[in-house]
Amino acid sequence: MTRYSIDPITRLEGHGKIEIFTNDDGEVENVYFQVPELRGFEKFVEGRPVEEVPQIVTKICGVCPGCHHMASGKAVDAVFGVEPTNTAKMIRELFYMAHFVHSHIAHFYALGAPDFVVGPGAPKAERNVLGVINKVGVEIGTEVLKQRRIAQEIQALIGGHQTHVVMNVPGGVRKGIKEDERLDIVAKSKGFVEFAKFSMKIFNDVVLANKDYVDIIVNGPYSLKIHSMGLVDANNKVNFYDGKVRVVDTTGKELLTYKPNEYLENIAERVEPWSYLKFPYLKKVGWKGFVEGQDSGVYHATPLSRLNASDGMATPVAQEEYERMYSVLGGKPVNNTLAMHWARLVELIYAAEHCLELAENKEITGTDLRNKMYQTPKEGVGIVEAQRGTLTHHYQTDDRGLVTKANLIVGTTNNHAPISMSIKKAAQGIIKKGVKVDDGILNMVEMAFRAYDPCFSCATHSLPGKMPMILNIRKADGDIIQTIKRD
Amino acid sequence: MNKHTLILGLGNDILMDDGIGIRLCKKMQHYFSEESVTFDTVSLGGLEILEFIQGYNNVIFIDAIKTSDGIPGTVYYFTPADFKETSNLSNLHDVSFLTALEIGKKLNMEVPEHLHIIAIEIVEDLTFGEDFTPEVQEKYPEIVVQVRDLVDKIVK
Repeated sequence: MTRYSIDPITRLEGHGKIEIFTNDDGEVENVYFQVPELRGFEKFVEGRPVEEVPQIVTKICGVCPGCHHMASGKAVDAVFGVEPTNTAKMIRELFYMAHFVHSHIAHFYALGAPDFVVGPGAPKAERNVLGVINKVGVEIGTEVLKQRRIAQEIQALIGGHQTHVVMNVPGGVRKGIKEDERLDIVAKSKGFVEFAKFSMKIFNDVVLANKDYVDIIVNGPYSLKIHSMGLVDANNKVNFYDGKVRVVDTTGKELLTYKPNEYLENIAERVEPWSYLKFPYLKKVGWKGFVEGQDSGVYHATPLSRLNASDGMATPVAQEEYERMYSVLGGKPVNNTLAMHWARLVELIYAAEHCLELAENKEITGTDLRNKMYQTPKEGVGIVEAQRGTLTHHYQTDDRGLVTKANLIVGTTNNHAPISMSIKKAAQGIIKKGVKVDDGILNMVEMAFRAYDPCFSCATHSLPGKMPMILNIRKADGDIIQTIKRD
Repeated sequence: MNKHTLILGLGNDILMDDGIGIRLCKKMQHYFSEESVTFDTVSLGGLEILEFIQGYNNVIFIDAIKTSDGIPGTVYYFTPADFKETSNLSNLHDVSFLTALEIGKKLNMEVPEHLHIIAIEIVEDLTFGEDFTPEVQEKYPEIVVQVRDLVDKIVK
């Protein structure tokens, strides 16, 4: 037996690694993906006024602070039994669309595109965001940074701060939007829509027009037949901010739906001795192990699963792209892991279009910012779609509103089992007897989990950019026989 | 465009020792009152850093670091030329610090001519808490003096 160990080189040595075990024939037998977890959040918020928690949670993670703020704000609304005003809901959602635009641009250009725009087999020195800029042009690189910055500016304007957001208060938002600000956001949102459409064009021209790339997406070792989760509105259209959680099975048929306060009746978390992080699964189906198929309890919560779990997109261009994606890939549901990049771009278009829709609605400048019809605080659950999966915040308080218990299921945690399974499947398809394991092989395995837009900042705090790695190939007795480094 | 010095504290002040860069940055404000020096704190890395440092001539980052067998409280100084990965300068979700600098140059952004990194060896950054670990807390007065002296040399 040989053990392959992929360790992200972090300041947390020994944390966050992939262990691949092969048998004497060189076939992959098992894969373990291990990440540590932040400790003590519940204790940290215990005893604090629950209305302070939405501000605190923005510090859990520097990557998606807006998502935590939003899920937390909704949980606090529920704790006080209060519905935000319509204006407040619109303002929150406008902020959130800018948050999605910012994050999805980052993933496509910095994390996803190097594998396709530059190429999975390109020299490692070129297979990064700089390689993407070399390929698509400096002007586009400048535009990427510009659109990201504008998205940050909108978040800072509405949220009070681009990272440490202070927008949500029980039943609403802290401040409104003035007419001149609205007009400015309209102009900026038009830029988002054009840039989102342009990004999809790059994907069409560079990825879909390349038969080899399409072959990797459709026929490579990157597919996983599991259930799909996503938040949907009353028409079963994708919604990032509000609605019910819908899960469709591996045939595309609705398996279950639940409201935020019903999450514990629908989701359970499996503990494995080899991992700090839990493995959520569908309670209704039960834990059947790390297996694919209709009988599996494993689901994914990703851009692709959101599209699978919905009946479409709520904006016109995103809907066109949604239909085109399923048409090309053979209908719903799509199980090709690398199609997550495509789905993410469909979502980018939706976020940009919806940002524009919300800003164009003059009602967003209303002054009914807060519903103060509070009830005695007790318990509340808030669910939103984070960029990398369904995000759940659950708080319990005493009758003074001081937190007695908190529980979070963060976006990437939903995908812990699928990521582990995708890595295993990729490794099984790529690492064979006689195949020289080099940097290209390492990258092909890494592509399996990069598609999920994994962010373990909530779990591992942070890791260096572009995931530097060491691949150790060991003999069964543990001796290293080959080391491949990628800085 | 601003051509002054920026002192940028990095980290998360509710993850125990990870907040040391932020606290030290605020502390340095007591010692350096020159108009040419600006202070700021962020909990971001990677591409986001570019936004903060554009246009400055000098930037001094103060961040936490964890090295193999490092002694808690040790103060390190380095530049991009002898860069070691600190806790917050890079970002898993987009790019590493050095890649961000390359991108800035490639896109003709005003990347500062002089970049200095002051890093403090820490113990704990995975547990929520507003206090330092005892090991770092004990060394804190000494750390402040060392960081102040380093900043003084750079600024003057």
